[in-house]
Parts: sequence; C-alpha cells; structure tokens
Amino acid sequence: MASIPATLHLPRLRSLPPLIRIRFLSVAASPNSQVDSFPSRRIHLKNLVIRAAGGSLDSGDGKNAKDPAHNELEGGGVDPQRMGLSLHATISTIRAPLLRMKGSSFDMKYAVWLCIAFAASVVVIFVRQIVVRSHRRERQGSVADLIRRGQLRSDRRGISKPLRYDDPFNNPLVKAGEGDSTIEMFGKVYRMAPVTLTREQQSSHQKRRSQIYQWKSPTVFLKEGDDIPPDVDPDRVRWIPANHPFATTVSDIDENLARENVYQKHGAPFRIRVEHEAMQRKIDALQSRQKSSKTPHDPNRSTRDFERQINSARPQEQQETDLPTNQHLEHPTSGRDSDEITTTDELKKL
Amino acid sequence: MASSLHPYSFPASFHPLPHLSTRSLNPRHSNRTRFTPIPIRSMLQWNRKPELSGETPRVVVITSGKGGVGKTTTTANIGVSLARYGFSVVAVDADAGLRNLDLLLGLESRVVYTAAEALNGDCRLDQALVRDRRWSSLELLCISRPRSKLSLAFGPKALTWVVDALRSRSSGPPDFVLIDCPAGIDAGFVTAIAPAHEAVLVTTPDITALRDADRVTGLLECDGIRDIKMIVNRVRTDLIRGEDMMSVLDVQEMLGLALLGVIPDDAEVIKSTNRGYPLVLNQPPSMAGLAFEQAAWRLAEQDSMKAVMVEEEPKKRGFFSFFGG
Repeated sequence: MASIPATLHLPRLRSLPPLIRIRFLSVAASPNSQVDSFPSRRIHLKNLVIRAAGGSLDSGDGKNAKDPAHNELEGGGVDPQRMGLSLHATISTIRAPLLRMKGSSFDMKYAVWLCIAFAASVVVIFVRQIVVRSHRRERQGSVADLIRRGQLRSDRRGISKPLRYDDPFNNPLVKAGEGDSTIEMFGKVYRMAPVTLTREQQSSHQKRRSQIYQWKSPTVFLKEGDDIPPDVDPDRVRWIPANHPFATTVSDIDENLARENVYQKHGAPFRIRVEHEAMQRKIDALQSRQKSSKTPHDPNRSTRDFERQINSARPQEQQETDLPTNQHLEHPTSGRDSDEITTTDELKKL
Repeated sequence: MASSLHPYSFPASFHPLPHLSTRSLNPRHSNRTRFTPIPIRSMLQWNRKPELSGETPRVVVITSGKGGVGKTTTTANIGVSLARYGFSVVAVDADAGLRNLDLLLGLESRVVYTAAEALNGDCRLDQALVRDRRWSSLELLCISRPRSKLSLAFGPKALTWVVDALRSRSSGPPDFVLIDCPAGIDAGFVTAIAPAHEAVLVTTPDITALRDADRVTGLLECDGIRDIKMIVNRVRTDLIRGEDMMSVLDVQEMLGLALLGVIPDDAEVIKSTNRGYPLVLNQPPSMAGLAFEQAAWRLAEQDSMKAVMVEEEPKKRGFFSFFGG
C-alpha cells in the first residue's frame, strides 16, 4: 500500500518538460484501513494527492532522460522560466477546484460505487457466461432440441401437452378490435377489408361456369378397349388405361358382395370367414378319408413299423453307435431326423 | 373413347379468368379499396363452442384441381380442429396411389387395413378406421395402400357405400366426413366427389391454381355440388403490397366463391408436416394454425368470411416504445 503524501509537489522549473502531466499517484485509505476488506468495510480517504509531474527527476529511474520531448526541450532553446510561469499559472487555476474536492467524502463514495459497479458487472458477465454454457450443453442433442429441429416427433415423446377446447383462442398474440377495421396478430397490425361478394355475383359466376363446363360425372369405369354395356350412357364412362399406376378395373369379387363387405358390422370378415370354412372343409375331408380306411390310424404302431424299417436298412455297426439316439425316436420329430439320415445313406449307397 | 364433353376440352376463345390482368394484381386499384370501418365478425371466434349446422354427417370434399396447393394439409388441420371442437370426424384419404394424410396426422404406422381391404372382405370397415390417440373423435380411413392399385370396378359407388356405412354404423354417424381429394380431374377425383354434398376448394393466389380451381368448380357444379367454399392458401401480404401477388379479394372476384378461410404463408406448415403433428396443435399457435382453426369454425357453422386481412400496417408505437414499451 502506498503512503499518502500530504502535500502537492510542484515540479522544479528547471527540469520542466513541455508536456504537463497531472497524475493521480495514489488513492488509498487511511493507514489503519485495509484494502482486503474492501467490499464490507467503509473506507475513508483523508487526502487526495495530486502531483503535477514533469520529467520527474525525483523518481530517479532515468526513464525520462530518454524522453525525446525532453531531449528536444534541452536542445531546443525554449525558455524554461517562461514555460514554468505558464505552468504555474495553469496549475493555480486548476488547483482551486481540486483542492476544493480535497477533504470531502463525495469523491471517496464515488470511487467506491464505481468499484462496486465494476465488480458487479464482472460478476454478472461471469455468471451469465456460466449459465449460457450450461444451457447450451443441455440444448444440444436433447429431446426438445431434436423435436425443435424436426428430427423427433413430439407426440411420441409425451412432452407435448395437447390443447384443450376450454380456451382454444385465448391467444394473447391476437387482438381483434371491435370498433375499427384492424386486427393485431403476433405483434403486427393488419388492415381489414370487407368482403363484398354478392349473391348476384355468385350466381353470375355459376351461370358462366355452367355454360363453359358441360360435364357429366362418370359412373362407369372401363378399361380401354372394353365394350360399353348397353344400358350405360357413353358420356358417363371414364376410360382407365390398362397401365394406370394407381387404378385398375379388375376385381375378383362382384359388386353385391363388395357392398355387403362394406356394410358388415359384426363377425368375421367375408374373406377370413371363407378361408376358415375352406380350411374346415379340408380338415373334415381328411378326417373322413381316414375314417373310411380299413385300418385305423395308430400313430404308435406306425412309428414302430417305421423304426423297424430304419433299423433294417442300416448297417449293424451304425445301429450300435446310434443306440442312444434311437431311444429318442419315440418323439415323432426325432423320427423325421432319422428318416432323413437314412435316406441320405441310401442315396450314398446308390 | 373420350366423350365430346371431356373436361380437358375448352373452347379456344375461352378465358376462364377474364378479370385477370396486371392491374387487378394490385388491390389498391380495385373498386373495393374504400375501406370503411366494419365490425369484425367471424374473423376470430373464441370462448364458445361452434354450433354445428346442417344435416349430419356433413360429407365435405376438399379439392383443388392443381396439386401442391395444400389440400392434404387443409384436411388434416381442419379435421383436427373439428375434433378439438368436440365433433366426430372421419378423414378419408381418397388419394389412391399417393396418400399422405396419414403422414400429416402422424398415423402412418397404425394403418393396417384400408377401404380396399374392407371392400374385398379382408376386414370390416370399423377395423380399417384408425382412431387418433390425441383426439379420439378423429378417425382416419385410407382408401388403399400406397403401392397397390385401387380397384375401380365399381366406380365411384365404392366410396358412396363407405360413407353410407359410416352413416349407419352402430356407434352413431360421424358429424363430418372429410374427403381428401387427389389432384387432377381423373378417376380419383370422380371417386372422391361422388359421396360429397359440399366442397372446399383450396387454391393459391396464382393464375395456374386459379384456372384449375375455376375448372374444378365447374365440374363440381355439374355434379350437383352447389355448396362450394374457398380457402386461399399461402397468402403473403408483403407480396400483395408490392403488387407481386393477387389479393384475396381479387381471387374471390375471379372465382365468385364464398371465402371459408385465408391461410397466410407460414414456415410452421413445413415443420408440422415433417413432424406429423398438425399445425393447429402447436403451442403457441401460429398464424396459419389460427387461420385453419377459424376456417374449421366457419365450416361447422356454415359461415363465410365477412372481412379479410389485406395488408400489414405499421404498428402505432407508444411514447415509451423506445424503451420497449
């Protein structure tokens, strides 16, 4: 901490440079105060020291000896006494208000508040940067960000709240004036114009169109090349190209059946029911065929016969090696596997 | 063999948009630019439930003629809006080969059966309906699978049967059947408009869409659909002000149709399409979503717009606006 000189030092006239510098050398608290406790403690400044420093030969650092202006002054032949007088007059003019400030507490308060404001602004900038960075980190790749960019669907995520009917148009962004012909929507004011279309104008347009467009709505779609049915007006036929990409005139069911299908309200659909019935008929036919055969169907006996044939077809060595496997032949699927093996062996023999 | 009254054939001297000129592009040159203060009714409605008018089920086809003007987006958003209002809605995607309504509603992974399977007898019609989990009063019915051909052997009668079956279902008829019509005036268009009683014509304020819209309106009127309302989509007030786009009133003057809604051009539409989340469910709502809500409101009440937004005015700034007030 710098000490506070109690006097205003004036430069020596002999070494006065052409530039006048008024420098606030030090602004500090009283010797008892501590700067470390700056924010919390009240600081009293007793003296504000203003020193007009020129070449500052008192400092003794020798920097001013290299000052080109100072060198010019020394070799230039300017009267230093005259300049010193003018400087003295200048300082005497500014001395009064500065010394008037001396001893008042306003300057100290101003400096303190300036420091507080500066520190507060630094803190605010720092906090804002932290908040922005953390917020940016949250946004990137988040669900809300993806939905905002259209890469996710909000309705599948369950984060959107559907609008309820209760107040669908209570939109603060829309203000409709009752008296004037303007409306404010989303911050913009739009001018309104009345619609003046009359019934007469509408009917005249209808009359114009009826004269121009004389069209009969087609009721029958036919493939190009087909013959027109005798009871159909040729003007009501729409010809569909055979290679139409989206339409065809071919249907595997008749008109009445299609209509019944559309009007059906309960039960199995027609095609499902038909397929089910066809399968049921097939099963019944199979069962009846089995019943009509003389030997009743005995799955155990047929399996045993099948095993006997397999065992007789295999060589003796292989039968011995496959003995544990054969124990599983009671299962019908295992029988299928052995059958496959047998057939492959037979094929190899052939 | 095409008939002599084929919709593609027009007299050479015919100009479907006789009023279209560079002068009419500017709304300020119009005779209706004397703006008088009007009470803004039916522009924005809130804090009451819309009253359903007309005989249920209201079978509405949403069509345009030209592709890419927003038919499917309109169907999805109006369907969800009506479901939010408490009405039961069945949205039918009648685009046989290029269906997209399931994507916009976010229901593409739940479509197992379609109306084609119901016709063939592979499933019942109630099994082909996909119920939305967000709003259970909204159901989706696709007419066919994306890569399969729709059998047109029965013509437009098939969709009429489907609507009749919905009308007579045991859980009660739906309040609305919204049919998303495919682009063009081909067999898909004929099939889609067959069961409809009213139509919503979606168009954009450009001359190609307007010519097709006028043609489709004529075909709808020939088919007996007289209740046709119009939604003007992708309106940009900045382009209208710069005389680079037709105003909504000019579009109405050319087509002579009642306005159901005006949808501003909004980037949120693309976002909601890609997310499979309809625009009207966005929180906070966007301008286009709000416009769709209002269009659905008018559709339920069989109302039409009495006033339209024409251009943006500089906002009046207060004394403390410099400070953000």
